[in-house]
Amino acid sequence: MSQSFSLYIPTNSGMHRLHPLTKLALVFLCLVLGLFLPGVWLSYATFALIIIPSALWGGVLPRLLSALFKTALPIALSLFLIQGLFWPGGTPILHLGPLSFKEEGLYFSIQRTGRFIMIIGSFLLLTFTTRPDELMLALNRHGIPNSITYIILSTMQIIPRFQAKANTILDAQRSRGLETEGNVLVRIRALLPLIQPLLLGSIVDIDERAIALEVRAFGRKGPRTSLLTLHDTPAQRIARWLMLLAAVAVIAWGIYLWLAPRFIA
Amino acid sequence: MNLVIDDVGFTYPGGAEALRGVSLRIQGGESIAFIGENGAGKTTLMKHLNGLLKPSRGRVTVDDWDTREHTVAKLAARVGFVFQNPDDQIVERTVIDEVAFGPRRLGQSETDALANSVAALEIVGLSDESRTHPYDLSASQRKLMTLASVLAMRTPVVIFDEPTMGQDARGLKLIGDIVEELKREKRIVLIITHDIDFCSAHFERVVAMADGRVLIDGPTAEVMARADLLATTNVEPPQLVRLAQALGLPVAPLTIDGLIAALPR
Amino acid sequence: MIRLADVTYRYPRATVPALDGLSFEVSTGQFCAVIGANGAGKTTLCSALAGFVPQFYRGTITGSIEVAGLNVVESPLADIAGTVGLVFSNPFNQITGARFTVRDEIAFGLENMAVPVAEMEPRIEEIMRFAGLEGLADRSPFALSGGQQQRLAIASVLVMRPKVVVLDEPTSQLDPVGAKEVFSVLRSLATTAETTVFMAEQKLEWVAAFADRVLVLHQGKLVADGPPGEVLASPDLGRYGLQPTRYTQVARAAQLAGLRSADTPLPVTLEQAVEFFN
Ligand SMILES: Nc1ncnc2c1ncn2[C@@H]1O[C@H](COP(=O)(O)OP(=O)(O)OP(=O)(O)O)[C@@H](O)[C@H]1O
Ligand SMILES: Nc1ncnc2c1ncn2[C@@H]1O[C@H](COP(=O)(O)OP(=O)(O)OP(=O)(O)O)[C@@H](O)[C@H]1O
Ligand SMILES: [Mg+2]
Ligand SMILES: [Mg+2]
Repeated sequence: MSQSFSLYIPTNSGMHRLHPLTKLALVFLCLVLGLFLPGVWLSYATFALIIIPSALWGGVLPRLLSALFKTALPIALSLFLIQGLFWPGGTPILHLGPLSFKEEGLYFSIQRTGRFIMIIGSFLLLTFTTRPDELMLALNRHGIPNSITYIILSTMQIIPRFQAKANTILDAQRSRGLETEGNVLVRIRALLPLIQPLLLGSIVDIDERAIALEVRAFGRKGPRTSLLTLHDTPAQRIARWLMLLAAVAVIAWGIYLWLAPRFIA
Repeated sequence: MNLVIDDVGFTYPGGAEALRGVSLRIQGGESIAFIGENGAGKTTLMKHLNGLLKPSRGRVTVDDWDTREHTVAKLAARVGFVFQNPDDQIVERTVIDEVAFGPRRLGQSETDALANSVAALEIVGLSDESRTHPYDLSASQRKLMTLASVLAMRTPVVIFDEPTMGQDARGLKLIGDIVEELKREKRIVLIITHDIDFCSAHFERVVAMADGRVLIDGPTAEVMARADLLATTNVEPPQLVRLAQALGLPVAPLTIDGLIAALPR
Repeated sequence: MIRLADVTYRYPRATVPALDGLSFEVSTGQFCAVIGANGAGKTTLCSALAGFVPQFYRGTITGSIEVAGLNVVESPLADIAGTVGLVFSNPFNQITGARFTVRDEIAFGLENMAVPVAEMEPRIEEIMRFAGLEGLADRSPFALSGGQQQRLAIASVLVMRPKVVVLDEPTSQLDPVGAKEVFSVLRSLATTAETTVFMAEQKLEWVAAFADRVLVLHQGKLVADGPPGEVLASPDLGRYGLQPTRYTQVARAAQLAGLRSADTPLPVTLEQAVEFFN
């Protein structure tokens, strides 16, 4: 729940128990597959063949799909309408009265939607099944400095923190008579007065948190210990290397495909 | 106006069962202090009265309104609520706008809203700060400002969560005077406090809570005389009562004069 | 252990100083309370002892502050942190958000200090027991009541075993027994572990019963300094916006009513009051 300021869904699946870096490597490979190779369908394939089964294994598939649906649908719709209908000088393939969908525009929209789904999907997969503090620790152990892993942690917390702060402010406002519950119109109208206190409140929070961290010697240099323990296995270690190698290979292949026509010309 | 809490149970989404069957009847013009150990469920119970929380079981009614059937914003016309953490309650950029937020949303005319706000700021002694940014006030001033912002709503029911937190002698006297004035106006005043001396100085009825239930509910002098029962919810009787007990006096005095009168001559 | 020499501090843009010519020393293992009206400068003084004033809040400071051998005005905050523990008053913003359970939140400071895990666990168990947090170890630190969060804030700092503990109204949300327990734990830390305790408080009954010494701040100036029995019974208290304990008040009323002799010293604690009246 939002109270814990993380999107993590605490269940005890095999996916949850994987070493955080194994999951990070998997997500990295997905991103590389979907972004570095040309063509329309690869990102869909990555999503269908890697992300969906992993989410299923982690028991977070329904939540992942619903979150994805909410974010991707509006974007996909606007892509298809705007790019599909108004692609300059494209080949019309479908007529809607005076307007027509252009082949190039649809192609472009399908590709972008696929990438979007794949990027958001892998981010959700990682955050739903990985405790942020464990990820931070795993990165620390691999030589990433605390200050950087802390930024990663904070980034993973931005959405739930904003949600929690927004809820606090909405509670304050409705307790004093501002209607925030009801139909879409009421809720949209309640958004405007929320923005300013939300931004200011968040800045104040950041300041206070900086002090709280400092008091606990977070800024101290040198080694650290950890109460958390991470479980790793030789198989996972090998899998991580393989995934990394695969990713590097895909990147190299992608660069080759991109450069080759230019050299030939 | 009367409030009825009927066998209310509440469990937080995270799992904590915060209320386990609370029943209370509060008549118009009554004032009650809620005391009891940390985590007893005091804040949770009060949040049911303005509808911020809805009972998992049982019923809460504010006069003829079942809180489940009305929005918080609507209930705000009847129940004003000052939060435990003043920072949870800041939504505007100047003290005067902050205080006027409620009155304006509740449909008071602009002149009335301002007049009520100016009067409320006067009562808490913050007239000189009306153009200050709420975050620039000290914590104790901020608490007083939140009191003013609820007073200005002029609701028939007023709830203060820990109003005396961090106040000095002057602040205590001020808040005591506010409570007395509200009592004179026959409004329902409910406060949560750990300041037992404050509670016994201003309230005739006390409800002591423990572990999500009502432990004792009765006239202040009677409740305060039951030291052993209070001890089970981490409360010690007021200083005067403890002194009377230590001296072996057969009374539970709530005032200095009361104790002096009971001293053997 | 704590030494201030002629410290004057102004917040940025402030016209009057928040701390005005403060000089005092607190020796090792002393439990020193600071009291004063709202705005007297208690919070500012506590922040100054941990270096946040002026290092975080900016502003201008003159004079010198030395705590546990550190010049806290200039030493990096990271060096001060392990040595000087600071508990500030609003419990709602002392949770780091870097950890996700109450137990891990308490461990966070120890981890940063590189305390070995084997040593960490018993220390955490012990502090949770004292703070009354046992049942809540696996709860999210944000899903707590106000008082439970304040207990967590205190526990998270005490578990680091700083040489000097500075607490700014640490009991404002605690239930009455909880507040008394905090005082009593600090008392025993000072007595047995030689921890120096510096605490801003409004709860004069417990200040009277547990502290070795009381400082009174008024508009940034040190206006009284002495043992609780002396400072808290002083007729000047009212001038500084403070109210003596009920014990003192009722004793004074008894003297005025001619029920007790006017030369008996006024009590500040329950025990003294019992003695006074018997
Ligand atoms: N947001 C929350 N999520 C989950 N549990 C909560 C939340 N807030 C409070 N609780 C739990 O519910 C119980 C009652 O909390 P509540 O805040 O009502 O206590 P309280 O009597 O007001 O205590 P205090 O005196 O410390 O403010 C406690 O056990 C607490 O841990
Ligand atoms: N961040 C700040 N910026 C500017 N002035 C400040 C700031 N914090 C405090 N002050 C001012 O410094 C003075 C001392 O404030 P401080 O908070 O130290 O008092 P306090 O004794 O802790 O009061 P309280 O009992 O209200 O907590 C006050 O006049 C206050 O207005
Ligand atoms: Mg509470
Ligand atoms: Mg203060």
